[in-house]
Amino acid sequence: MGAIRTALKSRGGPVPAMMMAGGAVLLGAADAPTGGDPSIRAFVISNFFIATSGDAGTCPILADGGIETYFKMLPAAERAKYARADDPHEIEQGKRGPLEAAMNEHFGFRRVAIKGVGGGGRMSEAVLPPDLAPGAVPTPEQALEIGRLNGFPPGRGRLAFSNLTVAYSSCTNPEDFPTLAKGFRTYEGPVAAGIDLDGKSGRHDFKGLDGGKSVDNQLWRAVGCVKAFRESSEPKIAKRLFISARAPTLIEVRGIDDPRNDPDVTVNVYAAADPVVRDGKGDALARASFHLDPDRTLRATTRGRIVDGVLTTDPIDLRINYKEQIIDAPREFRGARIRAELKPDGSVEGSVYGYYTLASYWSSIEQMTQNGANLTGVSCPGVKQAIDRLADGYYDKRTRRYTAISSAYNFVGVRAFIVGDREVAAR
Amino acid sequence: MKPLLGNWTLALVCGAAALAGLASALSVARASAGEAANAASSTATPMLRRLTEAQYRRTIADIFGTDIKIVGRFEPDLRSNGLLAVGTTAVSVTAGGFEQYEQMARNIAAQVTDGVHRDKLIGCAPGPSDPKGEKCAAQALARIGLRLYRRPVTAPELRWLTTSTLSSAAQLQSFDAGLAATLESMLSSPDFLFRIDERGPGGVVDGYSKATRLSYLLWNTTPDDELLKAAGAGVLDTPQGLAREADRLIASPRFAEGVRAFFTDFLMLDDIDTLSKDVLIFPTFTASVAADAREQTLRTIAYLLVDRNGDYRDLFTSRQIAMNRTLGPLYDIPVEKDGWYIHEFPEGDPRTGLLTQASLLALHAHPGRTSPTLRGKAMREVFLCQQIPTPPANVNFAVVQDVNNPTLRTTRARLQAHLDDEECASCHKLTDPIGLGLEQFDGAGQFRTREHDELIDVSGAFDKKPFANALQLGQLFHDDPRATDCLVQRALSYATGRELDSADMPEIAQLTRIFGDDGHRFKALMRAIALAPSFYALSAEPRSASRIVMQKGKGKRS
Repeated sequence: MGAIRTALKSRGGPVPAMMMAGGAVLLGAADAPTGGDPSIRAFVISNFFIATSGDAGTCPILADGGIETYFKMLPAAERAKYARADDPHEIEQGKRGPLEAAMNEHFGFRRVAIKGVGGGGRMSEAVLPPDLAPGAVPTPEQALEIGRLNGFPPGRGRLAFSNLTVAYSSCTNPEDFPTLAKGFRTYEGPVAAGIDLDGKSGRHDFKGLDGGKSVDNQLWRAVGCVKAFRESSEPKIAKRLFISARAPTLIEVRGIDDPRNDPDVTVNVYAAADPVVRDGKGDALARASFHLDPDRTLRATTRGRIVDGVLTTDPIDLRINYKEQIIDAPREFRGARIRAELKPDGSVEGSVYGYYTLASYWSSIEQMTQNGANLTGVSCPGVKQAIDRLADGYYDKRTRRYTAISSAYNFVGVRAFIVGDREVAAR
Repeated sequence: MKPLLGNWTLALVCGAAALAGLASALSVARASAGEAANAASSTATPMLRRLTEAQYRRTIADIFGTDIKIVGRFEPDLRSNGLLAVGTTAVSVTAGGFEQYEQMARNIAAQVTDGVHRDKLIGCAPGPSDPKGEKCAAQALARIGLRLYRRPVTAPELRWLTTSTLSSAAQLQSFDAGLAATLESMLSSPDFLFRIDERGPGGVVDGYSKATRLSYLLWNTTPDDELLKAAGAGVLDTPQGLAREADRLIASPRFAEGVRAFFTDFLMLDDIDTLSKDVLIFPTFTASVAADAREQTLRTIAYLLVDRNGDYRDLFTSRQIAMNRTLGPLYDIPVEKDGWYIHEFPEGDPRTGLLTQASLLALHAHPGRTSPTLRGKAMREVFLCQQIPTPPANVNFAVVQDVNNPTLRTTRARLQAHLDDEECASCHKLTDPIGLGLEQFDGAGQFRTREHDELIDVSGAFDKKPFANALQLGQLFHDDPRATDCLVQRALSYATGRELDSADMPEIAQLTRIFGDDGHRFKALMRAIALAPSFYALSAEPRSASRIVMQKGKGKRS
């Protein structure tokens, strides 16, 4: 087995999947030993979250969400209707609904149901174009046509809420509502998580959490003062949260000779076709088996090395599932590097440092819908303006704009097994 | 109480006195039916064995179909002399339990007579030639009664059942409702809830009781039509006829159910129903994992002993094990298939043999930690039929229970400290050395090599024979003739529903010889028991004051 691995390693490039059976050449999946093939370590990622700047990177003033900005725009008498009795500057929780309704009315947010119902804006049954087959998902052009038929402003209307509605709001068209970005704040602290992605030292670079220099993480600068992102990324909370649990990401390290130190391993990143299962404590069940998602765009391979139990990889372009109830926005990272601590108990904690494409990041924000943005205190126009302004990677000469933004994400996961034929679509 | 239930039920609901009352009521019932002719010629007590939950469920499914739902709480079974099967002769039905049986009976009867099932299961209805449905009721009740009572319904019984049906039907203004009321009473009656021996000639049970014993031994369910027909024709009273029917039952796929039932009892796997682990310590061990761990053991046994007709001793050394995706995480292996399959661990893998299966490992451990003592005790009592005395009440377990002791980091070290007490050591030396051989499996049955960062030593000696690990320990059990002797005794005790005594020794010796000559195939053992005269003996009482207890070495009387 060792000889096979050595031969495979000597090829230098990614190990072909058929040959990568590696141990499996000798040990079929049905005959795996206790612990599985010792040359393979795989993990299922239970949470993937933006890396915070920790205690050293605070925000003097947190960013306002769209609804908070609207609240502050109101005349004092009007604002008092929605304010807390003991603090006229804060929204009374029980009055967020009426405030949101007033906001929708004020800005002319609209949404029409194609099937079912969804969040954000005045709701009504849609008048549908005749060429839209019953039950079909409208094309972007058909969504515009639905907007026109239902009285949206010209050229406005996007699919939202898991393709159940066509909406017009500050999340579908942030450029129409710049006033809702007024209360937005970017992070201006000196410290941020991440690594030096571009190999250069720039004036916008941060100091790393561990004292490193030239850290590229403009995404944190853009959204690091959004309360919802800061809270959900607090390590204690993040370890208990599940993200994309029904379509999790798998990280597989193959060709391991020594789990503590190995100068040459193959690292595969996959999307799973099976959901994360919870154990009796409610955490991710360790050592469960996962089939692969047949979508090959959700697979990537690179090489890496393990030093003192810490895995680092070469740069890799990643497309990672991000599927929640109303969001399906695969995260696309370019030039990403993985750093992960392979823990003795079989779990993994690590980070992905890379350039998050603006399109895929914005897709995740946009799909929150206005209702989701209001619930979480996010200003879609504020986020959009910030990421466009702070983007720093993968310059497009044609548009003369950067297409991606440097970022740092953390992840946690548990030991897993990958099963099934990698060459054939999973179930 | 409903008037339909009659005197037999009155005996049942007398609570603690139920068994005695029941026997008395049965005697009266039989006498009134003119069937006590043989009773006077024998002093043996007819054996009553309450159906276990599994038997009840399978019996209903076999008679009425698998789509008949059974909802209710069953009376707890009693383990006696290592077996629930022996306990079935010592249990009655409490008043509370009878309410449950009655409720289940009502639900079953309602389903049998509902629009979905009645045409298939009743097969007739009142009509112009039978306006009240008298003929129909008699016909249906005779047919169903044969299966429920495992004997033909007597003429007086049938008259009474038919009359009750028509009376209830008139009151309820529905033939089907009247029939349901009668079925409910039949399903609540001791003739159904208990396997009741009828005397036959020569101190053995009659043909129908033979069929019942045979069927519940080999299939764990009620006799099928063919077996009842053979019983009625006297086929089971000849050695050739009995052998033919036994062979037919063993050749049936349903034999696996009989094997599963025996090993559920033998290995005490019913205890998994109430097994729970500390979820903070063993988050992988959920209720569904526990249930599947039991199923895994039973499927593995059925595969090796029935499908493969393998050697019983190989259960201790086989690397093959039934597996599914639920159990994959506990066993720390990748599982590709969705359903059950047979997984074969590579040679040398620590998971080898029955002793290393999660069901037994978890069952004989504490909620939050292992217990070499409990495991060793179970290994001796279950597989070798030995008896380990219970500890005295005043034992101080503080050292053993302190799992965070900074100096005694492993269970072995803590147990050693406990053994410094000589009084404790005399028993622990029997249990702990072999229990410690399984210490690489934690309290939930998960493999580990370290405890508190210290390497776990799993070497030891089993009755002076050294072993290095669980794999070698399994081999020692494989090679130990006491294990096969014990199985023979337990199987005979299971079959007869009674504790064995010295009078059974010749029978045991004979069975042991047949079992060994046939390569320790479990099928051969069951066949030999099914054909053994003692299997059909009438009495439930021990025939001798000296019962059999296996000691180190071989079986002895005590």
